[in-house]
Amino acid sequence: MRNIGLIIKREYLTAVKTKAFVITTILVPLVGIGFFLMILFLVNHQPSRTFRLAIVDNAGGLGTSIAQGLDAKLPNGQPEFTVLKTIERPPSLDRVQDELRSQINSGSLDAYLLVPADLDQSVQLHTRNPGDFALQGPLTAALNHAIILNRLNARGIHVDDASDITRGADLELIKITKSGETVEKGQSVGIAIALVLLLYMSLLIYGIIMMRSVLEEKTTRTMEVLISSVRPFDLLAGKILGVAATAFTQLLIWIVSLLLLLSYGAAMAGTMGPDSPFAGVHIPASLIAYAVIFFVGGYFLYSAMFAAIGAACSSEHDAQQLQWLAMAPLVFTMCIYSLVLSDPSSTMSIVLSEIPFFAPVLMPLRISLQTPAFWQIGLSIVLLFSTTVAAIYASAKVYRIGVLMYGKRPTLPELARWLRYT
Amino acid sequence: MDAISLENVTKSYDGVTAVTDVSLRVREGAILGLLGPNGAGKTSTIRMVMNILVPDEGKICIFGKPVSQETRQSIGYLPEERGLYPRMEVRAVIVFLAALRGLSQADAERRANEWLKRLELSDWADRKVRDLSKGMQQKVQFIAATLHQPKIMILDEPFSGLDPVNAAMVKDIMLEMRDRGSTIVLSTHLMEQVERMCDSICLIDKGHKVLDGDLRAIKQSYGKNTVRIEFSGPDTFLAHPGVASVNRFGSGVEAKLKPGADAQEILKAALQAGARIDRFELLEPSLNDIFIEKTGHA
Repeated sequence: MRNIGLIIKREYLTAVKTKAFVITTILVPLVGIGFFLMILFLVNHQPSRTFRLAIVDNAGGLGTSIAQGLDAKLPNGQPEFTVLKTIERPPSLDRVQDELRSQINSGSLDAYLLVPADLDQSVQLHTRNPGDFALQGPLTAALNHAIILNRLNARGIHVDDASDITRGADLELIKITKSGETVEKGQSVGIAIALVLLLYMSLLIYGIIMMRSVLEEKTTRTMEVLISSVRPFDLLAGKILGVAATAFTQLLIWIVSLLLLLSYGAAMAGTMGPDSPFAGVHIPASLIAYAVIFFVGGYFLYSAMFAAIGAACSSEHDAQQLQWLAMAPLVFTMCIYSLVLSDPSSTMSIVLSEIPFFAPVLMPLRISLQTPAFWQIGLSIVLLFSTTVAAIYASAKVYRIGVLMYGKRPTLPELARWLRYT
Repeated sequence: MDAISLENVTKSYDGVTAVTDVSLRVREGAILGLLGPNGAGKTSTIRMVMNILVPDEGKICIFGKPVSQETRQSIGYLPEERGLYPRMEVRAVIVFLAALRGLSQADAERRANEWLKRLELSDWADRKVRDLSKGMQQKVQFIAATLHQPKIMILDEPFSGLDPVNAAMVKDIMLEMRDRGSTIVLSTHLMEQVERMCDSICLIDKGHKVLDGDLRAIKQSYGKNTVRIEFSGPDTFLAHPGVASVNRFGSGVEAKLKPGADAQEILKAALQAGARIDRFELLEPSLNDIFIEKTGHA
């Protein structure tokens, strides 16, 4: 036990003192915050300029009602749209279009709407920037409003306030959980995807760190000296726990900074009102607890596999080829998680989240979306931890044999002798 | 009791036999020189004693007990290839390895500082291992193998990369350890070191043991069959039929005699040829000569 402690301490201190650790620990949250602030900035700085529009109305009589429908206001109180001119049934459509095009190109106009004579055909928006999707909603609404009004008129129905009649319903998503209901604005999916990425990246990164650490002892032949003082199992256990301590230190720093960011976000949400992207962001404690449990199980499972690969190889090159054995299930998880995301309670999602190699990522994903029946979570945990114990046991065997094997992989009779001998 | 004993040990890798039927005993408190040309099987033998490799046949015991994890831990081991964490500080790596051997942290640090001072590495104690020269790394490795005062030390090429001053320093420490009762197995190519330090030798060639036993007894068994001659004048007398081979040095020659040849006849022939003799001495063969004779190559 004393030796395991010494190995954990060495592994931890050596890893934590490296420049790479300090840099990634600081840089990853900074980059995350940077991205976040950038998105926030972009969201809060949507065009504050009035959109200048011309309407070419070949049908006739629609221009005024379209202009009425474009009554949205910008955050600064200016109108979102201004209709500079309306041209009804121009004698020469080509000449009018040429003229409007040159105005758009010179910058005195942003776009023009071309309403066809036959209203069954589509209305065209001619613009220099078709990527501005934010304009489509209000424009379509105004067009619908105008055309419906036009048809009502044609049937002899006159109403003073057509928009009251034509106003549609708002669809609001409410997420049902055991503890009640919350208004859904995409934050559940956001949290779920963030969780998947965090779990996947951590399992992969610390697994590879584990493999490298074993490999370093082999390639520098430190193993020969170590093994004369320590039992291979103690060495393996010490390394896995040492890298785990490193991983938890780093994750703790990240999670604390994430929580600080979220509480800052919540404060921002207070000033921004219910439409802010933070409204309703709430991570239940049970989700955090389950994520930790599945991360721990998954970490031990994958680091045992990566350690065995490191022990079986003699060079970084060999290891890079063999590391796919351990990476494949993780990468596969990333390929299929969207299936679970879209239907977390389907039979396939249930089955996938019970498979120990996928469970560390997929079960927390399911829990975050739609808490499954407890027996499913319990079974998944039991399966995961029993597989982990088996993997550590097998890894210890491979490790004990592999750590001192150089060059070619050992032959089967040689392996058998090793197992008998020590 | 023998500190180390090997009985009919054989080891092969993929059909290539590295060690064939080697038996060997190392007396407690002795220094054994394990000699042999490159690829003779020295390192394989050492690794089997360290329980790093498992013999295909035969039995290896340490103080009468078959090799195991426990016996492995009673041995201070300096591997042929350097085995230190390159990114750790020198003192930290020594303290870590000593602590694994059961020393307390304080004890390990105290001894590490003493040894670093003695081997003139104090200024490098807080540098990373990879910043050190090969010779300095070798000394650090040597400290790591000896710090915990093991009963048995196995040193595979301990002098490699060391200049004469440092080699002498390491040699003195090894003799001190021997005087305190440690048993030392020394694998090296440097015959002079072996001749000066070892009580007994074991010569291995192509996986077979060719020669072993007490160094003095081995030399005596060869008899005084070598003549060291320092002279001026003609050297035609060296073609005398009693001379088997001649090794020339700056100051003179060493002539090896054929079995039964009389050294006096050579001396007579030299005087007759008109050479002025400054020195004429009968010698035991050097370990180098025995090595060359037994293995057929240097």
